[in-house]
Amino acid sequence: MHSLQDILHLHVVQASDADSGKSGPPLPPDIISMIHHWGEGIWLFERMYDFKYQIYILITIGLIYLVFSRAGRNASIRPGRLQALAELLIEAVYGIVEGILGPKDARRYFPFLGTLFIFILFMNFLGLVPLMASPTANILVTGSLAICVFLYVQYTGLVRQGVKGYFFHLMGEPRDPVGWALVPLFLPLHILEELIKPLSLACRLYGNVYGKEILLGVLLLLGIWMVQGFIPGTFIGVPLHFPAMFLAILLGAIQALVFTLLATVYISLVLPHDDHHGEEHGADGAAH
Amino acid sequence: MEPVSTLLSDSAAYHLGLGIAAVGAAMGLGWSVSKAMEAMARQPEAAGRIQTAMIIGCAFIEALAIYALISSFIR
Repeated sequence: MHSLQDILHLHVVQASDADSGKSGPPLPPDIISMIHHWGEGIWLFERMYDFKYQIYILITIGLIYLVFSRAGRNASIRPGRLQALAELLIEAVYGIVEGILGPKDARRYFPFLGTLFIFILFMNFLGLVPLMASPTANILVTGSLAICVFLYVQYTGLVRQGVKGYFFHLMGEPRDPVGWALVPLFLPLHILEELIKPLSLACRLYGNVYGKEILLGVLLLLGIWMVQGFIPGTFIGVPLHFPAMFLAILLGAIQALVFTLLATVYISLVLPHDDHHGEEHGADGAAH
Repeated sequence: MEPVSTLLSDSAAYHLGLGIAAVGAAMGLGWSVSKAMEAMARQPEAAGRIQTAMIIGCAFIEALAIYALISSFIR
């Protein structure tokens, strides 16, 4: 057990690799790591630390429920501030999704995409709350989200285009002998593409959020070192990480939007696009 | 005499590669933002939509530099 002095000095948590014993980059302190460091060896704290990201995901879900259930309660035509904020968020995302999918399909797939956006947004912002960490700063969490998107997109493709149409689409939709000759080229490429797209989603979100945490941790450590030169053994420091917080807010929102947008684009790619040709020709005919 | 580490993550080549990835990302981002600004100057009423598309394109380009950064987290 560590003393109170030890806990107060644990202002920046060292992310240590348990296997190699080397210490990793410094991260901002979060409550579960601090409790685990304070009571090392206690079974409850060890298990809490093992499931650290899951606990933060549960906290995120609790927050989302609190905010949006209050916003939806007694929903009126003249909204209060919380309801207006929630409507602003949802309508912004719906506008972008509708621009890609068209009104009918956007209505159908928006529950999944909107939930994805709000979930990732809240998870990214949870890391900015003083004693919390972002669950998305872990490749397993972002990988799970990417797997969800992958399964949903493939399921949508199979349902909307039928199994035969889906394989036809994977082969590059050959219509002439040249198309059929290129099938051995297109089929592996398309399968690889379908597998790599969720991987890139996961890596993009993970790299952004984990990099943000490392940036904050390093700046915190630098601020504390600056003060430790004058007052040894302190746990306060120069707030050098303050501009990085703005960057974290901006990038957190942008990464949530990009994840949702890419999921939308992947859905639009597996939808049947024959009817769009008919609509386009109709519009051209009316214009000319 | 200590043996020299042969891990890629301990070598200078990794940091150099990260720097080259950052240069590529910076060039791509600069080009995209400059084109977006030209388009916004041509048609100020479409500035909102152009800005949204620019932000999304910048996130894609940024991701390529972040793939290089991720290789440092995976030891």
